[in-house]
Amino acid sequence: MRLRLRTAAIEISGDDLTIMTLLSLAEEKTGRTFLDELLDKDKGLLTGTIILVNGENIRLGQGLQTRVKAGDSVALFSPAGGG
Amino acid sequence: MMTGWMGKIVKIDLGSRKQETVAVSDETRRRYLGGRGLGVRLYCDLCLSTTDPLAAENALIFMTGPLTGTVMTSGRYQVVSRSPLTGTIFDSSSGGHFGAALKGAGIDGLIVQGRAETPVYLSLHDGQVEVRDASAFWGLDTQQTQKGIQAETSSKTAVACIGPAGENRIIFAAIMNDKDRAAGRGGMGAIMGSKNLKAIAAGGSRPVAVSDPEGYKTLTARLERIVDKNPVTGKSLQVLGTSVLVNIINAHGMFPTENFRRGVFNDAEGTSGEKIAETLLLRQSACYKCPIGCGRTTKTRDKNGEGPEYETVWAFGAHLGISDLTAITEANYACNELGLDTITMGSTLGCAMELSETGSWKESLRWGEAGKLMDWVTDTAYRRGIGAELALGSKRLAAKYGRPELAMQVKGMEIPAYDPRGAQGMALSYATSNRGGCHMRAYIIAPEILGHPVFLDRFSTVGKAELVALFQDISAVVDSTVLCRFLQFAVGISTFTEMLRTVTGLDFSDEELLKIGRRIYTLERQFNNRAGFGRADDTLPPRFFNEEFETGSSRHRRVRLDEMLDDYYASRGWDRNGVPLPQTLADLGL
Repeated sequence: MRLRLRTAAIEISGDDLTIMTLLSLAEEKTGRTFLDELLDKDKGLLTGTIILVNGENIRLGQGLQTRVKAGDSVALFSPAGGG
Repeated sequence: MMTGWMGKIVKIDLGSRKQETVAVSDETRRRYLGGRGLGVRLYCDLCLSTTDPLAAENALIFMTGPLTGTVMTSGRYQVVSRSPLTGTIFDSSSGGHFGAALKGAGIDGLIVQGRAETPVYLSLHDGQVEVRDASAFWGLDTQQTQKGIQAETSSKTAVACIGPAGENRIIFAAIMNDKDRAAGRGGMGAIMGSKNLKAIAAGGSRPVAVSDPEGYKTLTARLERIVDKNPVTGKSLQVLGTSVLVNIINAHGMFPTENFRRGVFNDAEGTSGEKIAETLLLRQSACYKCPIGCGRTTKTRDKNGEGPEYETVWAFGAHLGISDLTAITEANYACNELGLDTITMGSTLGCAMELSETGSWKESLRWGEAGKLMDWVTDTAYRRGIGAELALGSKRLAAKYGRPELAMQVKGMEIPAYDPRGAQGMALSYATSNRGGCHMRAYIIAPEILGHPVFLDRFSTVGKAELVALFQDISAVVDSTVLCRFLQFAVGISTFTEMLRTVTGLDFSDEELLKIGRRIYTLERQFNNRAGFGRADDTLPPRFFNEEFETGSSRHRRVRLDEMLDDYYASRGWDRNGVPLPQTLADLGL
């Protein structure tokens, strides 16, 4: 996604947003579609999508409904593999 | 007519030059498949758990599997022996085209024993093995060796060879094939060197027969669609290669930094797959019949070659506090040319740096010294100066200077680029690996970090024992077919069953494959038990039990192996010392 968006970081203003809302705002701000790298056609997480809020995977919380507040750091990784 | 297998395994003694065809029953082929499984079976029949790995009587086995040369990713092969680094049974896997070339030369496998009086190479063609003089190539690097052998045979000859590191019997010397592919770990290159065996050259185009040609076509088309649509095999590995993992593992606070003292590297981005793509990448590269193409053909200002892969980016990067991607990449090229395992080389350097920093070793190696990396690597291959000490590997080096706890190793082999405090299942995987510190025996990183095929809590120990055992068994099967493990990001065990049925015509089932994997893993364990390994060796260095990170998302964590090890033994049908029970052996026909 970094190569596609040509940036490693996006700043979004807001507080008490769900991850889903945050993602939509981020897509708006970059002016480029990238949610297809993370979500399936039903807007659920793709197998292998990693979203960390302050280092913790949202799948251990409320998934895409996990709420973030001002100052939180959210890391997005599309499905990856290696060895 | 046999399909899948070629039906020929040749054994040669380099001392007497005597050759024989090794008879393998249909039953044995079915129970061990090929590659790792059959290689381990044949090794255990030929050698003892006490055989000196560098002695003439040790056997070095090159083995393909029933799927080699058929479906996608089937260019791989396995090298099996007793490792001079660990003393365990060992199989080292390599990609490229060489496995398919062995089949094209008409053989499933080659067993080499004895020692040649002068350097030789083996030329394989049409089911025959010819011993040829390799004096002209002794001393050359692996790239020069391949060119030289091709010049005297054919430009199409596939070559697997050693460089100066293997000739000098460095215990982590690699065997290199197709220029830049490595059977890297465990010192298989040193065994070749000890036999004065410079190379194996394979030529010919014998086809591999397939039992169900129509079914094979349909299966191939379906696999291509699946692999292409999968975001890992069809996208991330193609675009970024394995170093896509750098930023991911660093974000999880478990990217081992400065000999596993920290879990976050400040300049991970500068050594990431993204950075490689932006600065060094010429094009992606692929192995035989591989649509994934995770390889990286790269160029620095002065040199070019293949790689680096994720493990190398880590071993010469974060592990040493080095963020100079050019220096890392050129050290990688040097390891390919000299024939050295990058993981053990890098990990040993990290251990050496900590020994130096703590005053335990008088040599001065400092974190971040990118400018000296090339000299350290080259000197190690030639056992020159400080290289003579680095050639010991981290376990022996640390023990020599009275600080064994500073070697980040399991059973003598260095742990790769995932700190186990960040993933409890990975901790168990490392500790119970049959070949020492290895991430591939059971790549539990897939569910614990990457979320494949399902997501698991990496800090939980619940259920990890059974899962590690299952992953170990499945990996043993895939290593015996011999296909690329990256296929597992796109397909499950049932697809491997289907591929085997289609190619061999035998009615394999998923259950049978899992039992084959369990049999292979248990046979390896038996060998290791006889070699003196037991519960005391199924552990990790003290750092992982006693020290915690202060920062990063794996902070304040320690490995909790005690919560998993007994369950692991129980799930395997082993006693509390990790010895397979008689009933377990009987069930597996061992």
